[in-house]
Amino acid sequence: MSDDLFESIASKLRGLAKPLLDTTFAVIIGLLVGALLMWLYGYNPWNAYYYLFKGGFGSLKGIFETLSFATPLMLTGITWLVGWKSGIFNIGAEGQMYMGAIGAVWIGGTAALPAGIHVAAATIVGMLFGLLWALPVAALKVWRGAHEVVTTIMLNWIALFFVRYLIRYQVPMPGNAYRTVPAMETARFPLISEGTTLTAAVFVAIAFCVGIFIFLWRTRLGYEFRLTGANPEAARYAGIDTQRIIFLNLLIGGLAAGLAGSTQVLGRPPVWGLYETLGGVYGLGFTGIGVGIIGRNHPIGAILAAFFYGGLLHGGTKMMAQAGVAGEMMVAIQGLIILAVALPVILPMIREKIASWRG
Amino acid sequence: MNRIGILDERKSAQATTTIVAAIIIVAIVVGVGVWFLKGPGPKPEKPVEITGLSLSSTSPTKGEEVKAFVDLTNHSATDQSYTFTLKASGENVSTKTVKVEGGKTKRVSVPYTVKENNRTYVFQAGSKRATASVGSPPKLAVVSDIGGRGDLAFNDMAFKGGESAELKLGVKMMPLISSTEEDYLPNLREAARDPDTNLIVGVGYLLSKSLSTVAQEFPNKNFMGIDTYAQSLTENLQPNLMDITFEEHKSSALVGALGALLAAHYDKPHIGAVLGIEIPVLWKFETGYKWGAKWALEKWLPANKPDLAKQISYSKDFVKYTYTGTFSDVAKGYEAAKPMYEKGAVTVYNIAGPLGLGINRAVKERVPKGQEMGPPFWTGVDSDQDWINPGFVIASAMKRVDKGVFLAEKLVKQGKFRSTIRNNDGVITLGIGTEVGGIPVEGVSVSTLANLKEFVKMGVRAEEVTGEKKLPMPPEKIKARVKEMRDAQPDWIWDAVSQLEEKIRSGKPIADLDGDGTPETVPATTTDNAVSYWRDVLG
Repeated sequence: MSDDLFESIASKLRGLAKPLLDTTFAVIIGLLVGALLMWLYGYNPWNAYYYLFKGGFGSLKGIFETLSFATPLMLTGITWLVGWKSGIFNIGAEGQMYMGAIGAVWIGGTAALPAGIHVAAATIVGMLFGLLWALPVAALKVWRGAHEVVTTIMLNWIALFFVRYLIRYQVPMPGNAYRTVPAMETARFPLISEGTTLTAAVFVAIAFCVGIFIFLWRTRLGYEFRLTGANPEAARYAGIDTQRIIFLNLLIGGLAAGLAGSTQVLGRPPVWGLYETLGGVYGLGFTGIGVGIIGRNHPIGAILAAFFYGGLLHGGTKMMAQAGVAGEMMVAIQGLIILAVALPVILPMIREKIASWRG
Repeated sequence: MNRIGILDERKSAQATTTIVAAIIIVAIVVGVGVWFLKGPGPKPEKPVEITGLSLSSTSPTKGEEVKAFVDLTNHSATDQSYTFTLKASGENVSTKTVKVEGGKTKRVSVPYTVKENNRTYVFQAGSKRATASVGSPPKLAVVSDIGGRGDLAFNDMAFKGGESAELKLGVKMMPLISSTEEDYLPNLREAARDPDTNLIVGVGYLLSKSLSTVAQEFPNKNFMGIDTYAQSLTENLQPNLMDITFEEHKSSALVGALGALLAAHYDKPHIGAVLGIEIPVLWKFETGYKWGAKWALEKWLPANKPDLAKQISYSKDFVKYTYTGTFSDVAKGYEAAKPMYEKGAVTVYNIAGPLGLGINRAVKERVPKGQEMGPPFWTGVDSDQDWINPGFVIASAMKRVDKGVFLAEKLVKQGKFRSTIRNNDGVITLGIGTEVGGIPVEGVSVSTLANLKEFVKMGVRAEEVTGEKKLPMPPEKIKARVKEMRDAQPDWIWDAVSQLEEKIRSGKPIADLDGDGTPETVPATTTDNAVSYWRDVLG
């Protein structure tokens, strides 16, 4: 029996070693290409990377700030990867997240509720707003066969302009038409450390990811989710209602994205609201796709990938300040590293997808 | 693979994930536990505590004496003796025993002579720290708004101010670009944590909240915001925080009058304005522009050119304006300006930074090949934009953000920064005929040929540094074209604009344009009510 246990742990470790090695190798390639780029433009790559990683991971405050950047990313990553598990190409996190954010602003900024209940209510309403925005995608997919890529892209744009309208005309801050009312004190997640922007929202986000992990691998429905993605034919043969699975899957994606929007409003000082430009949330949904992929489409992987990505985002500030790397170059370097890390995961995904179309 | 093999694999995959999940959950539980345990518990009462440590200079030179001020607070009711040690980079400077009265705070000064060049001294008393760097130049951090470098307007002007501070005040600029609003706080904090920064500038209205937060977190650092209202967000006057605002309504009135008189001269029915996001700063531009146009057509023209005045009059429809809701989408500038020119606008005022390039596109489209100057024109903003399309930019309403940045750094260098804040309630206004501490500082103006030289020079330098083409034609040709265009407009138009400038400079009421019976100067509309009142009057 104990031999079995050893054997199983050993095989686990072996299973873990390959992705870890792959990822490390990919990171090194990305860093080298980035270094080449910086060297060509006359920067000192060694110096730049030193500050990039020192800024992101080199101090407790830096790690807190990194986690703050990571919080919404792991959630939008969940939207993507849960979809992927059932063979859905869900890129709707962006719009669903906007809706979640405005839902959180609505309850957090205008409803007077007792502390504790208020933050929970605002978070949940934000999640439901995300779900609401996923509903047409799910309905059109299941009943009309509309491809989710098309519907989510369209709904992302509708959400963008609709939310901008709401910010400007429904929940603007008096005298400041460019932003919404802030969430009230009672609706804010408590700050974890002074001098950073990290709030307890990060625990909610991690708990959500872990919850999704348990759901996918420890429940019957989660198994049906995964089987629908792995082999839809077999799933149908086994008596699974794959249409129902896809419907539920898109709604869960909406909940995750809505939660991401909520955490950006209720858990991100100093604004505690939205700007008309949507700068605080803009692009997080699409970045989530990268996070999901780097995290190998696994909820726990998404947490780690978001932490890595957040570190690059936050460390970039120090790189810009101390190594004098131009802001645009910083974004290019971040992009290169992400691309390098994502490539070894994307290629098999594409191969798998093509194989599934053929077979 | 047989069925059993598949099952095994699934089992082992489950076990992997279980182990990973277990590790993560344990980590979270431990993390939360530590956080709660570390949380604010009842602190043991110390009768005397070190509550502050500051230095007389954070960038001394070798041989200079730096005074370290240690603040001691006595929490108990009775007088207490307290002994503390001041260290400089680990070395004991002095151990002092001080008597502090009950319930009072006492400031003790300890002198220290810096011995070495090119190093940073970390002073420490109790748990308080302060740093002073010797030899390396102090840094001026400039945190940009979204858009960053290359907007040819607002942010670029701030960086220009930083560059002249580098040349003339011996500081080093640290530019920090914000890609989204989420970057404001981390950027400001990063700059504040650097021991060498002596001034941190936040460029733009949207940074107000972040600036006031960080200024309170770092009381030993100096902060300045351009167009911000950060001071109004703090309860008391924040001694290390300065807001600099500009009288954009006045420069806008000047270009409004210029545009209106051009319309009269060329017999055109409209002038236009393309605006960015609707924020109070832009209301000042909008109202000032319309007010200047109305003044020109209703007050100046009948008195000086009565025959022209019969052909044109100010109506609420005279100024066409659009809020595009963006400061970055150049295409929106084009879309907004195009219909204005189609309806016969003689010039369109760019009140949206980079969107001027879109307006420029709309102008280029209307101009037949071979025509070398307007009409149609457009009007530049913030920096001197006359060189972007020589002959078609009639003038620019300059807002000297660069002077604001330079002024603040100069005040820091002279040790007058905080006293200036105290004397002005934290808010400095730069405009026409304004003064700071008795010294005149002009903050806004209509661009002149002399300005053009300076800005073309900047473009030439930028070309040398980057190797990229910035100027549309050689500098000499630009100057010749712009001069030719200005000379082609009748003198009385430029005279009228100068007259309005003189009236504004005098500070006296100019004209009664809203018909309330009392003459006013150019109105500064910063509130909802004010802007809707003036929209009723001016359209």
